[in-house]
Amino acid sequence: MAMADEPIVSIRDLYKLYRQGEIDVTALDNVSIDITRGEFVVLMGPSGSGKSTLLHIIAGVDRATRGKVLVQGINVANLTESELADWRNQNVGFVFQSFNLIPVLSAFENVELPLLLTQLNRRQRRQQAQAALELVGLSDRAHHRPDQLSGGQQQRVAIARALVTDPVLIVADEPTGNLDAKSAADVLSLLKGLTEQADKTVLMVTHDPKAASFGTRSLHLEKGEIVAG
Amino acid sequence: MALPIQYNLRNVVVRWRATLSTILGIALVVSVFVLLLALARGIEASSANTGDPRNILVVRRGSQAESGSLVSREHFRTLRYFDEVARNEQAEPIISAEVVVIVSAPRIDGTGEANTLVRGVTPRGIELRPQVELIAGRWFQPGQREVVVSRRLAARFAGFEIGGTIKAGQANLIVVGHFDAKGSAFDSEAWMDADETRAIFDREMYSSLLVRPRGPEAATQLMKRIEDDKRLSLRAELEVDYYSKQTMTATPIKILAGIMGLAMSVGAVFAAMNTMYASVASRTREIGTLRVLGFSRSAILFSFLIEGALVAAIGGAIGCLMAIPMNGYSTGTIDFQSFAETVFEFRVTPPLMLQGISFAVAIGLLGSFLPALRASRLPVIAALKSL
Amino acid sequence: MTRLTFIAKNSLRNGRRALLTVSSVAVSCALLVTLLTLQRELTVPPESEAASLRIIARNKVSLAQPLPAKQLATIEKIPGVVAVTPFTFFGGNFRDETVTSFPQFAVDPARFRELLVEGKIIDGDYVEWVKDRTGCLVGADTVKRYGLKIGDRMRFTGTLYPCDLDLRISAVFQGTVDDRGLFFHHKLLDEATGDLGTVGTWYLRVASAEAANDVISRVNAAFANSSAEVRAETERAFQMGFVSMWGNVKILITSISSVVVFTLILVTVSTMSMAIRERFRELAILKALGFQRREIFSFILAESFGLACLGAGIGIGGAWSFWTFIDLQSLTRGFLPYFEVTPRIMATGATIAALLGIIASIAPSIAVGRMSVVDGLKTLD
Repeated sequence: MAMADEPIVSIRDLYKLYRQGEIDVTALDNVSIDITRGEFVVLMGPSGSGKSTLLHIIAGVDRATRGKVLVQGINVANLTESELADWRNQNVGFVFQSFNLIPVLSAFENVELPLLLTQLNRRQRRQQAQAALELVGLSDRAHHRPDQLSGGQQQRVAIARALVTDPVLIVADEPTGNLDAKSAADVLSLLKGLTEQADKTVLMVTHDPKAASFGTRSLHLEKGEIVAG
Repeated sequence: MALPIQYNLRNVVVRWRATLSTILGIALVVSVFVLLLALARGIEASSANTGDPRNILVVRRGSQAESGSLVSREHFRTLRYFDEVARNEQAEPIISAEVVVIVSAPRIDGTGEANTLVRGVTPRGIELRPQVELIAGRWFQPGQREVVVSRRLAARFAGFEIGGTIKAGQANLIVVGHFDAKGSAFDSEAWMDADETRAIFDREMYSSLLVRPRGPEAATQLMKRIEDDKRLSLRAELEVDYYSKQTMTATPIKILAGIMGLAMSVGAVFAAMNTMYASVASRTREIGTLRVLGFSRSAILFSFLIEGALVAAIGGAIGCLMAIPMNGYSTGTIDFQSFAETVFEFRVTPPLMLQGISFAVAIGLLGSFLPALRASRLPVIAALKSL
Repeated sequence: MTRLTFIAKNSLRNGRRALLTVSSVAVSCALLVTLLTLQRELTVPPESEAASLRIIARNKVSLAQPLPAKQLATIEKIPGVVAVTPFTFFGGNFRDETVTSFPQFAVDPARFRELLVEGKIIDGDYVEWVKDRTGCLVGADTVKRYGLKIGDRMRFTGTLYPCDLDLRISAVFQGTVDDRGLFFHHKLLDEATGDLGTVGTWYLRVASAEAANDVISRVNAAFANSSAEVRAETERAFQMGFVSMWGNVKILITSISSVVVFTLILVTVSTMSMAIRERFRELAILKALGFQRREIFSFILAESFGLACLGAGIGIGGAWSFWTFIDLQSLTRGFLPYFEVTPRIMATGATIAALLGIIASIAPSIAVGRMSVVDGLKTLD
């Protein structure tokens, strides 16, 4: 087990370069940060500042050009494609701006989906999925399909799906971007509650200052560099 | 206001991957359809092209083909002196008593033996069939075991080249020439001297008589006279009528073409539908925009129908192009009347190709109708909201 | 929920497309099975064990050329020959029909008994037939088809012989590979034609299958260099030779079948790619959730395989029941008497469909394999 004061995410000298047409773009330029367990870190910055790229690299869906990304002491950059997939399943929960629920599955089945990758049996899967849905307050909507739910409800299902495998890290990319003020507040409180009561670590990208106020720490990126801590 | 056709053309090009598979699928369906019809066309052409409208063919009453017919020498003698029969400059009646026998011969590709129809003819018989033309070597000598074969048969049987031998039991027939019968039924025959044929194959009787009456009235009279004479028990009909009845063999091919065309087109319609539905789905926003710009529902419907027809027509044209190399290719199968192999050609004619393309367009229209209807019924707002 | 239900839900998410895909695969499979059956019907004559014990001797010139009746005495003396009968195809049209819808043969009834190995008399009496010069032995299929019974008269118009026949049914047989045939006294044919002293072919039975080759060469040798040379071969070889007369029809059907298969592949492949392309972002989410590449491949494969197999099942099953329950014999006037969809043909169809499912999943799998999660996620906004 990692010690409580040891950072859960530790990034050192991170660079991300890519080519766009003829031009080389530096998406991340020498970024170093530490995040400790239970933090609610908000990444802010104008579009193109590299905040989503940073989130993707930490979540293990994108790779850095150079630098070290340690999550719970594991260097994510060294994992193979297939190890990375397993690692994501066990350690990271995703919440997207446009919810990204699978339209053909019910709310319950969407939450259960990541558990298909685990060794859990049918009964255990049902229990966990049920618990996660209860946590987001939607057990009464379990058998509704995404198109039968409101935006806020869909995002809460997505959070349940992110939680269900009990990951240490939850990454959220503009989770309130498609929601009205009331639903946005619900979702943000939910995320905040996770850090306070369940000791999860949340990393959220947003450009809404109101949303950012829910975080325990804000990081500002501009042109690939952290400008304010 | 209708949408410009360039709009459809561009869409077809942009979505080339889905378009390509639809085009190719339709092309294959059309090529099979056209080829089968070309085959039926070839069989029909061979029968239609056979015979001279001025000639009358006489066979035994009850027989279905010359090969199963028997005409006695007495009957031959009787008919020779009928007034209705025309005479040539030497005052001889223009009538040819012929014998048809079947000889089994090895195929050139070594796949066993097949039956060949050998016709014993007289000089009159050759004169009565002007579409048969000697193209190599010479005609057989009367009284000699010599045979002239069709150019198309020579391509299918071993030993049918000039100087080759056809074995008929104890007798060896020497091939001395090749003829071309212009795609008629005679292209499936080998010709030799009639009396020599009767001697070799031990035939007392003839198979048929080919007669040239003095004129059209004489022809009608002659046919009636033969028909009415119960002692003769013969059947007389115009040579062209006799051969056009033999087109029976094209019917199964036509039925096959119909069934294949229908079944394959059902598959093709489903495929086209699939593609068009996907096209409509991915262009929902675009369609909404068009509607906002003021294009009517019917313009959208029409536009998608045009697009489906366009894709199908391209497929149809490619299918026809794929069928063209087979034009003139000759092939053979058994003729159930004579049990001999008949040879005929694929005939890919312009009307057939037009038929193929129309068939393709029908597939395209059928396949795009429901998707087009769906596109035209999309609510403008929903179309714009859709991502 | 299990992985299987997940796959099933995905396959049916676009119900219309699933229906169209399954239907086009079904139609094509039915067509393919039909073509293969047609090809088999035309090129593979029905097989029977007793056929290896029987030999047909025809004139070497061709089947249409008769043989002298006096050859009988020579053939009878050949060692290994158990029985021999003249066997002449009459080719008559029944009643007012315009085609020969079932075969009639003139035989020597007393001798023919030994050759009718598989056939059992199910009605009437064989001995009665032997006694009755105008009697005939008819196959059960023909009796059933025309609703005939013992004692009924059957009239035929000769198309190959200049005579007509008026026969009376003495007995009915069943159990041969082709229960349509009719047999009558050769003497009756001889009388009607004015005793030509010829027969169509000789039909022989040998003691054992091993003896067949010897007998064949002896029969051929016995008439070598005579005015009527003979070509003897086993019944099976004779049938195959007959079938080979179809010539290029076989190639024709084979090429059509290949085109059908190819079209089938094309349709399914394009549908599969379409189905996957429109789900790209969902697949990216699955990847983000931790699904492995091979798991996603297996989802695609299972979906494509499942749809193809469902279509094949419907198409092949449909073709089987259609051809099994339709009376093709009367529809084609005896031209296609059996049209049996064999298990082998159905297996061929199913194998092609299964391969199809696999092939169709290749291109989408490659596309998904190449996709990075980030690119996949980008397509959503």
